[in-house]
Amino acid sequence: MEEQEIIAKVRKCVATALGRDEDEVQLESVLSRDLEAESIDYLDITFQLEREFGISIQKDELFPQKIFQDETLVKDGVVTEKGLEYLQEKMPYVELDSFREDPKVTKVPELFTVNLLVNFVKSKVAA
Amino acid sequence: MRYVLVDRFLEIEAGSRARAVKCVTRGEEFLGDLPHYPSALVLESLLQTGGALTRAGAGPRRMSVLGKVNRASFAGHAQPGDRIDLEVSVALSRPEGTLCEGVATVEGREVGRAEFMIVLLPPEMTPPPDAERDAYRGLLARALGLESALDNGHGGLGSGALPEENA
Repeated sequence: MEEQEIIAKVRKCVATALGRDEDEVQLESVLSRDLEAESIDYLDITFQLEREFGISIQKDELFPQKIFQDETLVKDGVVTEKGLEYLQEKMPYVELDSFREDPKVTKVPELFTVNLLVNFVKSKVAA
Repeated sequence: MRYVLVDRFLEIEAGSRARAVKCVTRGEEFLGDLPHYPSALVLESLLQTGGALTRAGAGPRRMSVLGKVNRASFAGHAQPGDRIDLEVSVALSRPEGTLCEGVATVEGREVGRAEFMIVLLPPEMTPPPDAERDAYRGLLARALGLESALDNGHGGLGSGALPEENA
C-alpha cells in the first residue's frame, strides 16, 4: 500500500472517530490537544484502523496504558529511564529524542499524533 | 432508576449477533403525552441489546457501559401497540469492548439504525457476589428469556448478559 493511501485512510479514520472534517486532521495534529480526543476516542480510533486496514491491533499495542499505571515507569511525574525504554519498545516507530529532553508523563499524550498513527499502520501492513 | 427497554431476547450468538424485541405500550410512564415512542429510547433498546450481546461473549459477571454512539439515524416512529424488532451484530470485537451495528424495525419498516461502542469494564471492577442481587438477576434473566436466547444462539452466560448492567 502506498504511503499516500495510508495517510488518506488514517486521516479518514481519525476524522470519523472524532467527528471532524478530514481537513482538520493533519499529520502533525496531536490527537488530544489539537483534535480534543478523549479516552474513549482512542478505542474508537483503534476500531476504525482495524476496520479500514483489515489489521488486528493487540490491547495496549497502539496506546500503551501501562506507562500511566506502573510506578517503576514514572516517578514524581517524570518518565524514568525504564519508562523510556518501555515506550521505545512499545512504539519503535516513534522518535523520542525531543521527548527525552523533558520526559514529563503529562507530555506523553502529545506523542500521539496523526503521523504516529500513520507510522504505526505502515509498520503493521509491512509486517 | 434503570429502565429495561428490552422485553425479550430471542437469540444471542455470543460475540456475533443478537435478536430481541421491545413492545411499546401506552402505559409506559415516560411516554406521557407523546404521540409516539421516542427515538432516543429505540436507540436505548438497541444499546441494551448490544450490551447483553457483548457481555455474553466476555466472561462471567463482566459489566459494560456504553462507550459512545458513533452514528444513529431514525425514520418514522414506533407507536403504542407496535413490536420493535431489534437486531444487533458485532462488527469488531476487542478485549476492551465491541463496535456494534444495530437496526430496529416495526413490521419490517426501519425505525432506527445505529453504530455504537460497548466498553467492557475491567474484571477488577466486577462487583463481588451478592445473594440477593444475584437471585434478582436470575429471575430477570428468565423473564427476559436470556437463557433460552443463548440456547437458540450458541451458548453464553445466562444472567451475565442482563441489560440492567448496561448503565
